[in-house]
Amino acid sequence: MQFELDEDRALLKSSTRELLERESSLAEARSVMEESPEGYEKALYTQLGELGYGSLLLSEQEGGMGFRAFAAVLSEMGRVAFPGPFLDAALAVHALAACPAPQATQWRERTAGGEALVVLARREAGDELQAHFAGGRVTGRKRFVPFGAHADALLVETREGLALVPRPGAGWNAIALPTIDHAQRFAEIRFDDSLDAGAILVADATRSQALLETSDSVAALGAAAFLLGLMERSLELTVQHTLEREAFGAPIASFQALQHRCADSLLQTESTRSAVFRAAWAADEAPETAPLLAAVAKGWAGPAARYVCGQAIQLHGGVGFTWEYDPHIYLKRAKTFEQFYGSTRCQLETVLSLSGF
Amino acid sequence: MDLHFTPEQERFRADLIGWLEAHLERTWTQETKDPRHDADSLVEVRRRWQRKLNDAGYLGMQWPTEWGGRGASEVEGAILMEELSRADAPQIPNFLGVSLLGPALIHHGTEEQRQRFLPKMLSGEEIWCQGFSEPGSGSDLASLRTRAEPDGDDYRISGQKVWTTFGPWADWIFVLARTDPADRYGGITFFLMPIDQDGVEMRPIRQITGESEFGEVFFDGGLAKREHVVGQIGEGWRIAMTVLGYERGSSTLAYPAENERQLHGLVSALREKGTFESPDVREKLGRLALENEVMRSNGLRTLAEMAAGNAPGPESSIEKIFWSEYAQRLTDAAFELLGPEAQLQTTAAHARPEVDWAYQYLWSRAGTIYSGSSEIQRNIIAKRVLQMPTR
Repeated sequence: MQFELDEDRALLKSSTRELLERESSLAEARSVMEESPEGYEKALYTQLGELGYGSLLLSEQEGGMGFRAFAAVLSEMGRVAFPGPFLDAALAVHALAACPAPQATQWRERTAGGEALVVLARREAGDELQAHFAGGRVTGRKRFVPFGAHADALLVETREGLALVPRPGAGWNAIALPTIDHAQRFAEIRFDDSLDAGAILVADATRSQALLETSDSVAALGAAAFLLGLMERSLELTVQHTLEREAFGAPIASFQALQHRCADSLLQTESTRSAVFRAAWAADEAPETAPLLAAVAKGWAGPAARYVCGQAIQLHGGVGFTWEYDPHIYLKRAKTFEQFYGSTRCQLETVLSLSGF
Repeated sequence: MDLHFTPEQERFRADLIGWLEAHLERTWTQETKDPRHDADSLVEVRRRWQRKLNDAGYLGMQWPTEWGGRGASEVEGAILMEELSRADAPQIPNFLGVSLLGPALIHHGTEEQRQRFLPKMLSGEEIWCQGFSEPGSGSDLASLRTRAEPDGDDYRISGQKVWTTFGPWADWIFVLARTDPADRYGGITFFLMPIDQDGVEMRPIRQITGESEFGEVFFDGGLAKREHVVGQIGEGWRIAMTVLGYERGSSTLAYPAENERQLHGLVSALREKGTFESPDVREKLGRLALENEVMRSNGLRTLAEMAAGNAPGPESSIEKIFWSEYAQRLTDAAFELLGPEAQLQTTAAHARPEVDWAYQYLWSRAGTIYSGSSEIQRNIIAKRVLQMPTR
């Protein structure tokens, strides 16, 4: 038994930290996330793809390094509140890898390599799936498509299966859905007859369901890992602030009320780490338990991040409520990763049914 | 990173499960629900169980073989505790001797002390209790004031110890007493004393559960022989701290196993009541099942760190807070979801057969207080892990 990452993955983790601190420090990334239409720096995404980050979940021959590496990378991204569709693209690459159609392979390769962006489009207004695929076209509406307006192709869940829809010549019929997280760009995509008829079905309904179930687990694990990084850094910033800020003639870090709050944040964060890396290990080495453990990790990490990132604002005091200081970025990113990629409530149900109750 | 158990460890587990099926005749819950039992006869149940475990080589697992152990790793130790919890086996009466004092004697004791004490510790012939806490020294243990005065070669002990778990049934006590009032840490010495002697009086204390599992001990010149000092004079604090370290790791998988058993009991009760399918009940149960799995993840991590030779650091405070507060959440939820039936005393009509919820509910209040209260654990995390300063 060993909890620490092996040498290769530990190296990947440390070089990722270096790269992200250099290329996407929060000070610089903030202007990109707040001001650019895409919400992230495309050149950096291309660079990540070229470096192999987009291929982590592929087979070893194709540059894959497995789920522990994936979790390590995503937790590093969480630390810098990394903007953009990294997890969304990874999920699309992972899903496309299970689809044999040649177009699926092409899009997978281009997305993994950072040249193109494919994301999944699944959520609709109601619970029942309405989107249709027929005659090379998708009809229906998809909500909260991550970075949908700028995606080069969408993998759309329809009643007939999973449809791969390249961006039409006239662009998507997209309505921006700005949320509290300014590092996120959601869109509603309206599919109608005006779109080019270039869609193909890459997985039929049965195959699509199985594939998306696996995708849900991967999403849960990836989001939990990102949340881990958000918490980790949030707590560091908070402890640092309490050491520097003085009141009543002493650093406020010396006050027991604050210490206990930080201790609870550490409990939440470290327990997330245990759950995330156990889930990642299971996904690599003990796949029969992977869906349960991914749901455990995500169902824990969401509320945990809400606590830790919320406390970060509280313990920063007034400046914690300002746009200028960073804690709000972490809380807002946490809300994205908590509420999407499988809500807490749905993870709880998964846990209950998979743990034999 | 790897959380696999080795094939040998898996085999150890399989053998153990088979052994438990053959040798555990009644679960602890069944024993406690038997109205013919009283506190003393339940201790005898536990003593008999300890003997069975010892005869099968399942006690003192991590002790060297020359002292009746197996020289096993922390991982086997944790698997043993996990399976014992899962099977709802009685706890051995001499757990303080076997888990704390035994290793202390192996590491710090003399050859004579080992020969004299270890075999009877394992067999359960001599039950040990721990004399650390005092009325004025609980979490702040180093402030202890029980005195040891030289008397010829030996020592006379005066003072008071409290929260002495299993004291009412114990034959011996290991005591921290002050040999030098001026030296906070270096003035503490580790003594072994028989309880049945003049100058030592054990009084049971009744707990909120109604039992008197712990007691208080009054020392008025009780004799501690020089040959029963563990380590050197003044080495007591250092030994005590390593002793407390032995506790870690072994129960790390036992708590989740015990919780899982209770959760299954709760679910089957709710199914009978017909309320398990309601969404708010499912959400509560889902949350509890999820948190228990996170606890197990923390436990596996601790175990993996220990297996890799890394001493458990102050992060073990996280585990202590987690399991003790979880037990309160679980039993709270059981009371809320089962209704007044949960309050029924164990032998009452209509009491749930699977879990003694009334007892568990009350008992869960102890976990956040003993072995360093939740507040002390949070201080430890803040100061030693997060490096936040003392005022």
